[in-house]
Amino acid sequence: MLNRPSSRRKSHSEGIELNLVPILDTMVTLIGFLLFTTSFLAIVSIESPLPVASPNETLEKVKEKPLQLTIAINDQSVELYSVSDKIPRKSIPNQADGTVDLKALHEAVIEVKKQFPAEENSVLAPKSGIAYETMIAVMDGVRNLEPTDPPIYRKNPQTGVDEPAKNLFPKVVFGNLVTEDK
Amino acid sequence: MASGRGIRSRRGRRKINKAFELQLTSMMDVLVIIVVFLLKSYNISTHNFSNAAGLQLPISGSQDNPTDSLQVLVTPESLTVENERILDFQQLALAAGSKEATYSFKPNDLDEGGRRIVALYDALIKAKERTELLLAKSKSRGADGKPLPFEGILAIQADKRVKYDTIKKIMYSAGAAGYRVFRFLALKKET
Repeated sequence: MLNRPSSRRKSHSEGIELNLVPILDTMVTLIGFLLFTTSFLAIVSIESPLPVASPNETLEKVKEKPLQLTIAINDQSVELYSVSDKIPRKSIPNQADGTVDLKALHEAVIEVKKQFPAEENSVLAPKSGIAYETMIAVMDGVRNLEPTDPPIYRKNPQTGVDEPAKNLFPKVVFGNLVTEDK
Repeated sequence: MASGRGIRSRRGRRKINKAFELQLTSMMDVLVIIVVFLLKSYNISTHNFSNAAGLQLPISGSQDNPTDSLQVLVTPESLTVENERILDFQQLALAAGSKEATYSFKPNDLDEGGRRIVALYDALIKAKERTELLLAKSKSRGADGKPLPFEGILAIQADKRVKYDTIKKIMYSAGAAGYRVFRFLALKKET
């Protein structure tokens, strides 16, 4: 006569079922929290300091006049010039649909950056009627160096090694806050 | 006949009730995928910028994430500082087929030769005083033991149709109120 099978072995063979309900509760709570707090709109910022007039003494102390690259956004064109006449004045006419030719502007700014790789400041002077969207697009074209752009090298003053520039003229200041349109 | 069918159906129901168990595993799979997606797209940033209905932000290729600061929201209809509508623009007749925003300030809204927005200047001064008071009460101190200085950062969230003339007046008013840095907000360009 065969022995009766052990009851212990029998109980082991029955699968232990994981209680998924609390985990499910946690998941639902987590999803609710994430949906409530997450921002699907990625917002970025462009910083610009308030322009301050330099005292005459400081200007006299500076041996070399700064480039002061100025970008004037007019109704029909964009003017690129240096207050200290370090670059020839360039006018970039708007496209046929009246919008600013951002590609031509960007290329012109890259040429200036190649001549003055250490320079980081630029002055923006849009006309009163220019839309905020155009202003931001021009700032982007003046500040950012795209991955498709040719590399521009600048000497690191600390190491003396040529390094690729990451930006064009990232420090943009508004030059016509007090003056009226000409 | 009818009673027999009734008994059978009752028996059958009992059987189903005993065997039926909700399969939570597949539901768990779905939830895990949703959680992973949400965690991946979770935007880690410290800002808490509010948005207005119908506000169309421009798109920018900038990579800078804005930190939390005082916010001015500009639409072609109104000017809002920290969720408080401080000024309504005067709406002008729109030319047929024109997409441009046509609005203007009322004569009493401006002073200093039309450069400063009075309501904005007052609101910014109030906000500055409030911040300075909080900084004075805060336990955080600078290297010299004095309260931390007022940073004076103003975030400008403007509709893409807003004219530079308005932005200029906002910057002038903010500069007069002691704000030294402006952050222009835009939507991140998809790469």
